[in-house]
Amino acid sequence: MPEQVADQENQAPQQQTTAVHAYNPEVLQDMLPVYYRRLFPHLPFYRWLSYGSSEDAIFSNREISFTLQDDIYIRYLCFDTQAELEKEICSRNPIKIDIGPVMHSKPKNHRSIPGGLTPVQRELVFDIDMTDYDEVRTCCSGAGVCLKCWKFMVLAARVLDVALREDFGFEHIIWIFSGRRGIHCWVCDHQARHLDGRGRYAVAEYLNIITYASFAGGNSPRCSMGDRPHHSLKRALKIVEPMFEEIVLEDQNLFGTPKGVTKLLNMVHDDAARGELESYLQKNLEDGAHSRLVWESFIKYANSMRTSTTSAWSRKLKNIVAEIQLGLLYPRLDINVTRGFNHLLKAPFCIHPATGKVCVPFSVSAVAKFDPTTVPTITQLLHEINAFDDKSKSYMEAPEDKSRIKDHKKTSMFKGVVVFEEFLRKLERSQKSGSLQF
Amino acid sequence: MEFGLKKRARHEVKVEVASLETKYPHNVMMYHYPPTEDVHIDEFEELALERLRLLRVLDRASTRNLRVLSDEWKEIVSADLTREGLRSYLRLCSNGGSGKHEADIQTRRRDYLSHFILRLAYCRSEDLARWFVAREMELFRYKFAALSSAEVKQFLESNGFEIHPLTEAQKDEVKDGLYESTAGQSVAKIELLDFYKVPFTQVLDLVRGRRCYLKAGYAYVNTHDLVSLVGTKQQDEIEQGLQAAKTMVDDVEADDRISRTLKALHNSYTGRDYTVCRDAAVPIESLDQLSKTSMPLCMRICHEHIRANHHIKHTGRMQYGLFLKGIGVTLEDSLRFWREEFTKKMDSDKFTRSYEYNIYHNYGKKGSMVNYTPYSCAKIIKDVAGPGDCHGCPYKNMDQGSLKSKLSSYGLSASAIEEVMFFVSRGHYQIGCGKYFQLTHNSPVEPSINHPNNYFEESQMAMGNRQKRANGSAPPKARIRPDIKGHGDRSMLMGDDDDELWRIAETQERIMQSQKDISEAFNDDLDLTQIDY
Repeated sequence: MPEQVADQENQAPQQQTTAVHAYNPEVLQDMLPVYYRRLFPHLPFYRWLSYGSSEDAIFSNREISFTLQDDIYIRYLCFDTQAELEKEICSRNPIKIDIGPVMHSKPKNHRSIPGGLTPVQRELVFDIDMTDYDEVRTCCSGAGVCLKCWKFMVLAARVLDVALREDFGFEHIIWIFSGRRGIHCWVCDHQARHLDGRGRYAVAEYLNIITYASFAGGNSPRCSMGDRPHHSLKRALKIVEPMFEEIVLEDQNLFGTPKGVTKLLNMVHDDAARGELESYLQKNLEDGAHSRLVWESFIKYANSMRTSTTSAWSRKLKNIVAEIQLGLLYPRLDINVTRGFNHLLKAPFCIHPATGKVCVPFSVSAVAKFDPTTVPTITQLLHEINAFDDKSKSYMEAPEDKSRIKDHKKTSMFKGVVVFEEFLRKLERSQKSGSLQF
Repeated sequence: MEFGLKKRARHEVKVEVASLETKYPHNVMMYHYPPTEDVHIDEFEELALERLRLLRVLDRASTRNLRVLSDEWKEIVSADLTREGLRSYLRLCSNGGSGKHEADIQTRRRDYLSHFILRLAYCRSEDLARWFVAREMELFRYKFAALSSAEVKQFLESNGFEIHPLTEAQKDEVKDGLYESTAGQSVAKIELLDFYKVPFTQVLDLVRGRRCYLKAGYAYVNTHDLVSLVGTKQQDEIEQGLQAAKTMVDDVEADDRISRTLKALHNSYTGRDYTVCRDAAVPIESLDQLSKTSMPLCMRICHEHIRANHHIKHTGRMQYGLFLKGIGVTLEDSLRFWREEFTKKMDSDKFTRSYEYNIYHNYGKKGSMVNYTPYSCAKIIKDVAGPGDCHGCPYKNMDQGSLKSKLSSYGLSASAIEEVMFFVSRGHYQIGCGKYFQLTHNSPVEPSINHPNNYFEESQMAMGNRQKRANGSAPPKARIRPDIKGHGDRSMLMGDDDDELWRIAETQERIMQSQKDISEAFNDDLDLTQIDY
């Protein structure tokens, strides 16, 4: 029955849903109590952070922080049991929940601990923000996101996920939509959680191939593949190259303006060659030529120049076409988030205060189908619950009612929960098999 | 009784000489165990100064941003070691494994002892420890690189590394990956070399630089890159040793003779940290002019960015904000400067909520109460620029064409720009900055730039706005070389600045240890979640 209802909801006319259930930030605080009591997946959340109680105090020494209304920020919270955590969340109704590291002692006692708190472990995390793509997207900027620029996130998730799995051997990876303009990646393997600062730095640097050359007007992303490209770069290129035409040339038409052509030129990291290319493009193209024509001209020129053995195009710029494609489409990581051992990062299933959207997990294999514009808002979810309650008439006010636990499965947030539960199932299975090996 | 004592002492001396060779059998040492032999206080001091001079040679090489162990790096280090009278160490670093000469054995002894002495001096703060570890690892790699394949194997065995090369069949399975991803070796060489499969966490510098093949959490390392594996362990040893030294440094300091020596060492050679500016108060009204005349390029660009955009990202705020503190901008003026600029784009409440705390925090008035240190050139160069960033070293991050345009707009002639770019194109960013200083100040000499605040001070002195300070600089070589056993060295090393900075370092470290994580997490979290760009 829950699935049937959910399907009906998903098939509801999109336009009508948006108009009727528009999110209003001013009533967020009034809606949060219902959300936390009826929709937030408290038990899966606890199951995640407790890791099957595989290590001492892995849950009870975890730092959690709440942001309450009016930017009241409460750090160093910690909880011994799932019930305690749920009780606190439902009584405080934070507008944001952040997750920090597991400390060597209870975070709430931080003042009395000589030498302060020391992080013992935390997930390896990655933060990718759409604003970092502002100079290569033309459809939106800042906090705005649409289906065109979301494709940058699709590639970022795919490239990063496969590198973490194939190169580093990580398996337990969960991807979270941040609620507005970015995605978070949590790597939860035992080894990843126990990486030290140097280890995190090394992984972050390994994955961070783009450098930014400063120009008068801004930054230009650059990527150097070297004489023999590393296998990770080749693999990333295989992922991004097929989408280059669609994303950069068509959707964004990045090179379709004089400014855009300058962006292309600035990615050529040889002054003389850039000047030559600029002359060639000016001579052979009209102003405002479509990106496709600009790109084809560029490739034609680069290939023709590569035949000369003395030219920069056959040495320094040997891989320039691939380097530009990677420079534009490779994931732009905030590596300080990854490097930091005691960073706090927003928890899954929080509501983003500005958009009202749920920070839902998504499956990386289906990331192309993930649509950030249709992620449910808290307003929409509460309406869905009300509609379901009205329909069934069987809902009781008793807090221990069995149907309450599965409320999130009656709404359009159920896909995110299913993804999360699948991730938990694999995580717990690996912990079980690990215990058996001992 | 007296006769018996004498005889026993003689016997001990003989055993000691014999045991030296077994105690220090190899040029490359892991510094496992602290030494237990007695050392005369004069030799203690001499050993400390000698090693510090050794590490300073490596430090000077690192300020040129040369790749460690490149031919150019080796040339410079070799010449400097010879000039410093450290040929014995040069032999240690370039002659491979184990010489049997008495002189070599004595050098190993001095190497071993002096390392542990400097641990006592450099365990006090994170900045000191970081500097020490970096230099020690450069020294370690220098020595290790001179080993032959046979010596490497012998070293691995004698130090308990249980790793074995892959069989031909195992190697064939991953050969495509090895060809693609093994840096610095030709395909023909890759076929001949032995490869080892190790967890990636044991060769992090190879991982970081994408210099080896990675698969399923394992790195495939050839014999030339084994230094990475051993180096990781060595670094762990030293870092743990510094932690241990820290716990017992209070006992050591009970001895006044030792404490004075150790106290004098750490600042006199690694330079001032510019946390405190006592002899100047720079008004913010003068910043526009000062940015043109006395600021290095990195800070001038940050300043211009702020004036133009009325905003700057977190790392840029840290970089420039701490620089301003270091040149003498007061907390009140700092608040005024940032508020004036930022509130041109946001309301005052938001500035108060989102940014004021950080400014107080940097001045040591909130949170962990640590008075933060302005960023050095090394830190600024090392930071990776992100999209939209204007912080970092412009000689490194700026496109060369744009850098030339920028220098031209600042009034440099074409030939002057070429002089700067000569160094920049070779990666000598700090030397290029020194050349920029020389050209813009019509200075007869090119200063050695290792810190933006030191650039500012040099500029102010060159313009006659400040008096040169006598302390903090390196002692003249003539004074230090002939008779180290004398008392002259100690008087040279101690100064008012050193005393004050020592106290600051001690206070900082005590507070920082208790509140480090709080401040870090706060800064990071504040930046990520509360601020809209």
